[in-house]
Amino acid sequence: MSELEILLPALIFLPAALGFLGCVLPRIVFPISVLMLISYATLAGSFIGSDFSYAFTLIGDGGIQFSVDHYTFPLVFGSSITLLISFGLFARRFSHYFYQVCLVLFTALLISFSTVDLVSMFIALELVGFSAFLLIADRNDKKSLFNSFQYLIGGGLAMLIYLIGVVQAFTYTGTFLISDLVKAPETALCLIVAGLLTKSGVFLCGLWVPNIYSHANCQSSAILSGCVTCAGIAPIARMSQTLTPIGDSMVVIGVISAVVAAIYAVFERESGRALGWSSVSQLGIAILSPTYACIYAMQHGICKALLFSTLRSGDQAEVAYNSHSASGHGHGSVDEPRPLPVEELIRVIVFVVASLSIMGFPFLSGFVTKNWVKTDLPYEAKIIYTTAALLTSTVYARLIFDRASNYFSGFKDGLSINTLKINRALTDCLSTPRIWIFLISIISLIGFSFAQPDVYSLKSINSAIVSAVLGGILFVSVVGIQADEFVKPITRTLDLVGAPFLVAALLLANLLYLKI
Amino acid sequence: MLLTPEKLRLIPMVVLIVIGCFGLLTSKSILRSLFSLDVIDTATISIFVLIAASAGSQTPIVSEYRYSSYSDPYPQAIILTAIVIGFATQALLCSIALRLGRSSPLLKYKNLEK
Repeated sequence: MSELEILLPALIFLPAALGFLGCVLPRIVFPISVLMLISYATLAGSFIGSDFSYAFTLIGDGGIQFSVDHYTFPLVFGSSITLLISFGLFARRFSHYFYQVCLVLFTALLISFSTVDLVSMFIALELVGFSAFLLIADRNDKKSLFNSFQYLIGGGLAMLIYLIGVVQAFTYTGTFLISDLVKAPETALCLIVAGLLTKSGVFLCGLWVPNIYSHANCQSSAILSGCVTCAGIAPIARMSQTLTPIGDSMVVIGVISAVVAAIYAVFERESGRALGWSSVSQLGIAILSPTYACIYAMQHGICKALLFSTLRSGDQAEVAYNSHSASGHGHGSVDEPRPLPVEELIRVIVFVVASLSIMGFPFLSGFVTKNWVKTDLPYEAKIIYTTAALLTSTVYARLIFDRASNYFSGFKDGLSINTLKINRALTDCLSTPRIWIFLISIISLIGFSFAQPDVYSLKSINSAIVSAVLGGILFVSVVGIQADEFVKPITRTLDLVGAPFLVAALLLANLLYLKI
Repeated sequence: MLLTPEKLRLIPMVVLIVIGCFGLLTSKSILRSLFSLDVIDTATISIFVLIAASAGSQTPIVSEYRYSSYSDPYPQAIILTAIVIGFATQALLCSIALRLGRSSPLLKYKNLEK
């Protein structure tokens, strides 16, 4: 076993080393890093579902403890796939040091997924925060700079709150291990959890999510939604597994987050912002069940990365990227004829499939994870969970409708359908790697669902289809309300900064008095 | 609850944290938020140092009792990383403030949040 003790730290720090090397030799290191990500994905993917776990201490007695177990593998798989998707789709438009920052981010994520030590977790989360800051500021206009400022100051404050909790726990337990938090007082637990929730972007702490996702570049949004928010999920899942009061409070917070953020998403008009709110809602669902949290976050992360990559049509995204416009409404503002309608069609298909997967449509991977979470819930939470699923279907019905109508309106402007032309376009498309990434992702989303045949029962398929259809009907009925400015975007810094305090206070009240 | 000297000397730090949070929540410009964050940062670090500090004459050798009469080097060593991270955060925030200051020199949230 001593080989593993050397191999695993080397595997954890390899991406960062490659990232720093990539600053010197950018062209040579990029293919190596893609190969590395592919091997990480296959390695982690082969361990999903197995009971393999290995704990080791980094520098002898009293050192930093790591534990590579069933919390780690799904998240590593999801993050590497997300990074691969964004590397494959947007490699042409990477700005300076973009992929290097992503590799450093990947190391920070690996540490935060595998460590069981609170201080290492703090350092990993801060590193994730810095990398995310650079990704948000990548667009380099005034609004995205201000967004990244808000993210950094909110995240920094949350991490300070977390540190105060850690030091209070240390005075009672004498160690920094997560498993020793059983002896820690309630206030320490509240402060720690509030910091983690802010990083993972669950509702009330995660108010930064919609603003940033809607304004950042597509590739940044894809990485932020797929990897960065997962960083807080693993420690929360570990904590709620060992600490029953925290697990119970997480059910309350998750349910509130799932429903309220989904309502915000229903009444939101801009697509990027609606996706952000829906992300908050989905992560709320993820923290409901400690056993399946990581695998749910993985599925959600991959689907969200695909959604953000295909949210805008190819040339629109290009224009939005090149113009550095401060308006931030790239969606629907450009009416140029598309050069490759087949590629565009495949983009729309990927968008629809990923949306259906998040809705939990049968024979897609979202269906499996949704059913797993559902089996793990208490009865009272199950009702609200179903409501959240319904609202989610409404959101995605609207998003699919918007995306499809946006696509078909392109055809009206004199784009004649010529079979010869389409044939040529098809062969052109198949030669680009992007299409292959899209096709492989669709096939794997469908294929994953068939790997778990035991969740398919008549009842579960029935309820999933009914929820999807009801979502469509609800969309038709609320489409009138959306015409008005029903919800205002939350952009004030005060709201973003004050949220962790509020959540910490609410958690404390729950742990001491309400005891739900 | 008994107020031991170890707890008494934490009171100024808690007051500092409250001051910093108050400043952060009421600040109207970016610079004030920066200063408030730094105050909270310093207070947190001081708590770490003070909790481990102890008036004693022994060398820190691990024995059965954690706090016999030496100052525990473990939290103090660990907080070094947090000091560096706090510094990095401040540097990044200052660079952003510098960039934002070109278009709106007063750095008021009122102008930036539009």
